[in-house]
Amino acid sequence: MQELMQKLIINYPYLIAVILFFIGIMTVLTRSNLFKKLIGINIMESAVFMFFVAAGNIRAAAVPILDEADPQPVYINPLPSALMLTGIVVSVSVTAFALALIVRLYKAYGTTDSRKIAQLSREGKKG
Amino acid sequence: MIAAVTEHLPALVVITPLTFSFILPPLGRRLGLARGLVIFSAILSLLGAAGLAFLVFTNPGASISYQMGGWAPPWGIELEVDSLAAFFLLLVALVNLPVVLAGRKNLTAEIGSEGRVIRFYALYLLLIGALSGMALTKDLFNVFVLVEVATISCCALVSAREHPQAARASFSYLILATLGSSFVLAGIGFIYISTGHLNMAFAGDALVLAGQSSPRVLWLAFSFMLVGFGVKAALFPLHIWLPDAHSTAPAPASAVLSGLAVKGYIICLMKILFTVFGPALMARFTVPRILLAAGVVAILAGSVSALLQDELKRRLAYSTVAQIGYIFLGLGLMNEQGLAGGIFYLAGHALSKALLFLAAGAMLAATGKQKISDLAGLGKKMPVTMAAFTIGSLSLIGIPLFAGFVGKWQLLLGSLESGSILASAGIILGSVLCAAYLLPVVRIAYFENAGPAQVQNPGLAEKLSLVLLAVSTLVLGIFPGPFLELALRAARDLLGCC
Repeated sequence: MQELMQKLIINYPYLIAVILFFIGIMTVLTRSNLFKKLIGINIMESAVFMFFVAAGNIRAAAVPILDEADPQPVYINPLPSALMLTGIVVSVSVTAFALALIVRLYKAYGTTDSRKIAQLSREGKKG
Repeated sequence: MIAAVTEHLPALVVITPLTFSFILPPLGRRLGLARGLVIFSAILSLLGAAGLAFLVFTNPGASISYQMGGWAPPWGIELEVDSLAAFFLLLVALVNLPVVLAGRKNLTAEIGSEGRVIRFYALYLLLIGALSGMALTKDLFNVFVLVEVATISCCALVSAREHPQAARASFSYLILATLGSSFVLAGIGFIYISTGHLNMAFAGDALVLAGQSSPRVLWLAFSFMLVGFGVKAALFPLHIWLPDAHSTAPAPASAVLSGLAVKGYIICLMKILFTVFGPALMARFTVPRILLAAGVVAILAGSVSALLQDELKRRLAYSTVAQIGYIFLGLGLMNEQGLAGGIFYLAGHALSKALLFLAAGAMLAATGKQKISDLAGLGKKMPVTMAAFTIGSLSLIGIPLFAGFVGKWQLLLGSLESGSILASAGIILGSVLCAAYLLPVVRIAYFENAGPAQVQNPGLAEKLSLVLLAVSTLVLGIFPGPFLELALRAARDLLGCC
């Protein structure tokens, strides 16, 4: 048990990433407000980004800039951070598109609550 | 010149639709020119895909590898044209051309202004480019990027209509699909931290070692991948976004979303499952059984839900959920016949479902009504459209001479070989249910008397696209030879790589 705790404390970025991931999922699935759903998605994605960046980090390793005069024994892995730049760009575009959709939904239904929107659109179909 | 084109063909197939998609928006309102360019790009894609498929088909055992930017595989992004990639590329191009031809009059009526139609086509080409890339790429992170490009363009296509319902369907699709991509990305992360590679072949080799030292991480990677791609490919309990999205999209978009977009994710899942994890690891984590069970449940649940719908496009959308089950069932059988059947059925379903959605779109545009009961008498008024719809239905049910039959037959052979009674029963019951929900549409259209209402017949371009798709469904059903051979080779490659 103590060993497990110690491992968790040493690898705290992963632990935080997992917690954030679940907070994100819960927010997406349980909240009916469209903005909160979107925020949940963003939290989830940040958790995954954090997971990647943590995976690239090596404690006490050098910044990955190769200096021929002063070579270091261990460098941080820069690849995951570079990948996550792309991931962040994707996440921003998803957020922008979702916000545009929320604006359209608000104009059409006058609310940002997904339950009310579902109710209104059912009534609209009957009428 | 020709040598340079051939050498860079794998990259060009992906880049061509993307380039055209960026040319389109500045054209403003010149719809005629834009449509010309889109059709031109579709023809170019078809030529490129046919060329690659020919090269792969005539050199058995060899695959064309292309290094993006000249960086060698473990570091650079590798595009590989193997049998599976060639098969899917050709399929994308085959569905792409008729769909592009289809939406002349109807699309403008459905979406609104000409500027919007041009933007629709820009997004559409983006989707086609992403799908072609998904067929070719061998790089895990590249898979994620292409999946996201496809997802965003799919969502935008769903929201193309002004109707508030479209925005609603698109939003729930976007949220769930992004949820799925987060899972996929996390799964890629697990593979990367346990192997140190992003190239599928290298990761696959390293995973054999990682499978012994840290099986729990791989178990996580498996489940994240299955859930992530399951949401995106609408595997049964994760399908909830699909009926709304596919039924509210404009007809050409529904045809591509149901026919191709969903399949692109399955192709990626197939590559990750078989080349990265490999059949041995899959068997260890009982993944084949999960896929098999999920497939059978999807077939039955999707078919029953389709039976309960009285709107034509919603019924077709639920039918997609059921047919996706067949493909997953093929993945779960883990033998050559079954997997080849799944891959071939992917093509059969793509062509038939695109045909059905385009025909349904033409019928809805003609009558202005959505209910199946409103289609009475259309068989006489719209002979070409209804004939096309009938061919699509028969193919999906699995009547011999049509493309769907060959796939289902292969699946049945595979399920008999693996001795799984559940799978065989699911395949046959699914066919019966499919007949139960599609044939009434045909019956109402041909054998019920209609009111005197006039209908607007589709234009020449629409008819041509329906005929093209119907002919390819028939050709694939009567002469499946080369296509089936490609599917069998793809299955052998996937199963035998580890």
